[in-house]
Amino acid sequence: MTRFLRPSSVRHKLLAMVLATTLAALVVAIVAMIGYDLHGYRESLISDMTTQADLLGRTTVAALTFDDPRVAQENLDLLRYRPRIRAAALYNARGQIFARFAVDGGGEFPRLPEADGARFVGDELVLFKRVVSDREIVGTVYLRAEHDFYSRLAGYLGIAAAVAAIAMLVAYLLSRRLQRMVTEPLQAMAEVAREVTEKRRFSLRAPKLGQDEIGLLADSFNSMLGEIERTTRNLESSNQEVFRLNAELESRVKERTAQLEFSNAELEAFCYSVSHDLRAPLRSIDGFSEALLQDFPQHVPEEGRRYLSRIRASTQRMAQLIEDLLNLSRVSRGALERREVDLSELARQVLAELRGREPQRQVDVSVWDGMRAQADPRLVRAALENLIGNAWKFSSKTDQPRIEIGALADGGRKVFYVRDNGAGFDMAYANKLFGAFQRLHSAGEYAGTGIGLATVQRIVQRHGGRIWADAQPEKGAVFFFTLEGGSDGREDDSAGRGQPG
Amino acid sequence: MVALTLRLCAAAAALLLACGPVLAQVEPERAEAQIKAAFLYKFGGFIEWPPRAFARPDASFTIGVIGAEAIAAELEQLTAGRTVQDRPVVVRRLKPADALSGVQVLFVGRAESARLGEVLDAARSEPLLIVTESADALAKGSTINFVQEANRVRFDVALAQAERASLRISARLLAVARKVVTSS
Repeated sequence: MTRFLRPSSVRHKLLAMVLATTLAALVVAIVAMIGYDLHGYRESLISDMTTQADLLGRTTVAALTFDDPRVAQENLDLLRYRPRIRAAALYNARGQIFARFAVDGGGEFPRLPEADGARFVGDELVLFKRVVSDREIVGTVYLRAEHDFYSRLAGYLGIAAAVAAIAMLVAYLLSRRLQRMVTEPLQAMAEVAREVTEKRRFSLRAPKLGQDEIGLLADSFNSMLGEIERTTRNLESSNQEVFRLNAELESRVKERTAQLEFSNAELEAFCYSVSHDLRAPLRSIDGFSEALLQDFPQHVPEEGRRYLSRIRASTQRMAQLIEDLLNLSRVSRGALERREVDLSELARQVLAELRGREPQRQVDVSVWDGMRAQADPRLVRAALENLIGNAWKFSSKTDQPRIEIGALADGGRKVFYVRDNGAGFDMAYANKLFGAFQRLHSAGEYAGTGIGLATVQRIVQRHGGRIWADAQPEKGAVFFFTLEGGSDGREDDSAGRGQPG
Repeated sequence: MVALTLRLCAAAAALLLACGPVLAQVEPERAEAQIKAAFLYKFGGFIEWPPRAFARPDASFTIGVIGAEAIAAELEQLTAGRTVQDRPVVVRRLKPADALSGVQVLFVGRAESARLGEVLDAARSEPLLIVTESADALAKGSTINFVQEANRVRFDVALAQAERASLRISARLLAVARKVVTSS
């Protein structure tokens, strides 16, 4: 119990309160009593000495009147029976000292009498009193008496200190006993509260020791504990349920992921080998079709030649398709080698190639300088080839084609974009944009296999970035992409901007 | 206020101090007359007269002086406007043969000491205080007799005449007397 009591505990506060109150009351009472007593003492001393002076005056009237210092002296000498009086003197009506009396040398006498009255000088009371007879002043009595004002005060203070000490001791002992009525229920409750906090045992209950506010507090505390206990139990059981479900979900996800990875790998391997193996027969078909055309031009009728041309075009298209599929497959495999890549330089190279292929086209090209990223140069180049190739392709029917490759800062992240003012597309189909074999334009309008954007998305995803597009039909399109993993959770809203999961 | 009173008192006392010795030094005879006049006046405060001493309840307090003009003059000056036992004081210059009724204090000066016995005999039955300043006057029937002692005016008291005159002399007065003669 005591280890639980810190110096600032309620017990000590109560004790300090009681002692402070007691002390204050004592001090006030003692000061009042001493003040009253000393005032009374002072008054009675003055009154006593005034009476003494009066008496002396009365007895010495005749001596003063008839100028008899001897008798006056005899009267004064009687003052030796008043040990408190140290000195006395009689002045005649002319203010001359008439008779004097002093104990132990008694000090000096004022040369002239002062006005009637008493005053305290140091440890002495000095008093002057006129001697009046038949309404005439016949002289003055001078008295000097010692008073024990200070020794009395010291005595009182000693008694007061003793009384205060005893009273404080009694108050201390009494309040130590009485305060238990208040502190014991509190301490019991505090103990329970501490145990609840430390051991999280919500099943504990504080004992109710009384019907006062503290009892009420204990009741409230207990009902609160009950509430917490119930809530905690519920929470724990639902937590366990959540844990169980989570674990289940996790194992299922793992299972599915493994399955998916396996089938994905299988699919890719299958795709690669199929694509690879498809190329050989295709080359035969194309080769023999060409040989047929060249070796027997006169044996093949005009219509047959046309057929053969169409066979060749189809095989070439298929070869392209297979090539693209292999590319898509390739970007998904192999290690990602990040290096410092100059995207501006890569973009210019790609554009130069495109110009070389179609030197007759006039395209207004603008490439920002200094676009750099930590990325795999081979893959970034493939992505740029696709994106810029698309821009090139889809702006071919525009009057003043314009292609812009640039970058913007989104938070701390670089967002690269490729913009054209070409055919664009309807944003309603944005979610189909990056799917393989998904085409928004017919092959008759714009050539293509529908695998390019799927490849680009794969590349961007392998870098941990994301890609999205913004477009309007006949106004052009912008493709934005990043090459670093975002830490701001922006990935989540990408679906709405045209990127399927 | 207290300080002012004190200062006034001190000033008055200083004046008195300054005057006192001058009076005593310049004219010793006049000083003696003054002191005796004052004593004569003040005896009234220490002595009780029988009611028959006063003709009426509101009769004045009369001091008769025989053969001491200087003292009579001082007395007149001193008692002007003053009272003894709530009665106005009157000073009367008397001749040795004058009637003594209505007189409460009778002073017989040295000038009439030769006829002292005669005067005292006349006054013997009256309720009055007889004061003299002659040697062996007490034996002749005086009540209080001034004597000179060490340049100081003192007095002796004889109680026989006081008893005869039904006077009650205060013990306080007796205390300051040089000598009290209890019986003749």
